[in-house]
Amino acid sequence: MPIARLPCAGAGERTLYLVTFYCFRRCDVPLPYRLVDFARLAGRLLIISLFGWQMAAAQAELAIALNSADGTISLIDTTTYEVTGKVAVCKEPHHLMPTPDDKSLIVACAASNQLVFFDPLTGREQRRLRGISDPYQLGYSPDRKWFVATSLRLDRVDLYDPADFRLKARLAAPRTPSHLAFDNASEFVFVTLQDSNEVMAIHLGTQKIAWVMPVAATPAGIVMAPDNRHLLVASMGEGVVEVIEWRFQKSVKKIATDTAAHNLQPKGDGRHFFVSNRSVNGSISLLDTKTMSVVEKYDVPGGPDDMMVRADGKELWATARFARKVQVVDLTTKKLKLSIPVGSSPHGVFFLNHAGLR
Amino acid sequence: MTGGPVEIFVSLQGWLLDRVVQPPLLALGLGSHLEMAFDGIEFFLCGVLQLAVAYLLLRPLEALRPIEVWPDRKAVRVDVLYSFLDRLGVIPLLMFVLLAPLFVLVDGWLRFAGFIPPQLEDLFPVLESWPLASFFAYLVIFDFAEYWRHRFSHSLNWWWALHAIHHSQRQMTLWTDSRNHLLDDLSNGFCFAVIALLIGVPPGHFVGLLIVVRTVENLSHVNARLSFGPIGEHLLVSPRYHRWHHALELPAGHQFRHGCNFAVLFPVWDRIFGTQYLIQDIPSTGLAHGPLPESAARSGFWRQQWEGIEGLLATIHPDPPR
Repeated sequence: MPIARLPCAGAGERTLYLVTFYCFRRCDVPLPYRLVDFARLAGRLLIISLFGWQMAAAQAELAIALNSADGTISLIDTTTYEVTGKVAVCKEPHHLMPTPDDKSLIVACAASNQLVFFDPLTGREQRRLRGISDPYQLGYSPDRKWFVATSLRLDRVDLYDPADFRLKARLAAPRTPSHLAFDNASEFVFVTLQDSNEVMAIHLGTQKIAWVMPVAATPAGIVMAPDNRHLLVASMGEGVVEVIEWRFQKSVKKIATDTAAHNLQPKGDGRHFFVSNRSVNGSISLLDTKTMSVVEKYDVPGGPDDMMVRADGKELWATARFARKVQVVDLTTKKLKLSIPVGSSPHGVFFLNHAGLR
Repeated sequence: MTGGPVEIFVSLQGWLLDRVVQPPLLALGLGSHLEMAFDGIEFFLCGVLQLAVAYLLLRPLEALRPIEVWPDRKAVRVDVLYSFLDRLGVIPLLMFVLLAPLFVLVDGWLRFAGFIPPQLEDLFPVLESWPLASFFAYLVIFDFAEYWRHRFSHSLNWWWALHAIHHSQRQMTLWTDSRNHLLDDLSNGFCFAVIALLIGVPPGHFVGLLIVVRTVENLSHVNARLSFGPIGEHLLVSPRYHRWHHALELPAGHQFRHGCNFAVLFPVWDRIFGTQYLIQDIPSTGLAHGPLPESAARSGFWRQQWEGIEGLLATIHPDPPR
């Protein structure tokens, strides 16, 4: 698609690309189709020229998927489900999260030691912070006073001042600190330790490890339940979500989901969470935190990993790590709606028009 | 690869993960290694493709235009075994298991000491948005490092005792490329890991770099009369060029005391550092003098490993003079 490169090119290049494409590349397409297609693209080009990139991209409602093995991001039009661009970014972009004001999307580039900031409307790079050691998972504390990054490969958790991203504390976290969650009061950050089968709590005030407790095998995703009383921990090894009463460091329940339960994403209704079960013949379970039980399950092949729910609650998007795709689940029919081909080992996915994140 | 072939490749990769690799990993509590296992399967499948391509393209070439014709190819069999162990990931996995924890430990310690190892892209940020330029830059740097690693493996006695296994083959074929002592592989892996720690290797480039290096290495060992032309021979290591590196008798001269034509991909390094020997003749290959017994040319895998260790020990504790 010629429009595919538009967000990443200069104005002259864009025009040249369009002219070249329509003169030489599409002669095999019947004229009426070419005219319709051309009109659509010309309209977009006009919008771009008149109102700039933000307008055009906002109209397109951009989704961004991180291809961790390629070191690229895929830009996806959420209305047409077309990949409109693929941009080289850095080494191993794994996870992403918006800044609290939603003006930037932060991409953690683990092997590049960088945080790269993108405009979530246009997908354009805003700035690049170097010297952030091996960032993997990211999180802002609810009070916005802390920015936390785990280093999965190097067994470490880093606490930063979000104002200037100055390192405040670096804590050893053997082994394999993966996902993280905060309590509502921003007193603690909880981190899953995948290879030592534990959850670690770090007291943000003292910047010290408060406690470590054993959990089910290979814990990955972790979230705070809406009651602020229970932590939900996805266990890949046991295919369960373990419910932990964190104030007492006590495991109270294990909810079976499916093979390789990996990550959790709020539905946005303050009650339900989606659980990605990341095997090749994978699935996504819907967990009710009132009853602490699985209430729905959808077949989502390819190793579903990170997820995001559309603001209208009609679609769930999930990266498929082992299929080079982003899977779109229709939450009305509860079926896989379509698969969008992206790059190698897609991990994080984000769009601005999403349901609540808590 | 685009479209269909990628889809087939990824489906096969996923199928192998789901049916073969994932169940034991989860059962053993190694679920966090699933992503790495998925990459490992890609490595394995690329190895299968490389072996197939080498056999289907280069082996006919050896049959049609051989440099040397032998009464039998029994001595080549062990090289085929080395190639399978190497290309299908057995040896690389062993090296990874041995070296990765050490380098993670060093890297982690450096970070705690407040030092983040530099990346090539920190010096040349433009590489971040030009993947092809980045790939070529890493290829050139690695080839430069490979030149010196290779040269040291000839000039340091202990290393030469191990590397001599590679040179002991008198029937050099496309399979000879992987014929290496396991400790030589470990030393090579160590050098690669040091470079990776010093400049950072994009994971997306890793498999591509290996494919390029291995393809050229397969080609440079082939027993076939194959010319890259008057210009090509200066740009890329050819079978004739590399055959002089394996020559039974080396050219005279101080600069060739430890060998010649050490380059792996680009002959320019030999040119710059004075170790290049360009001549139209084609020599016989093998070891004329130590450090291994003559039998190493025909011995089996384990015997060769032992002969390499004996050679290594002899360099550490040479026999006392009588």
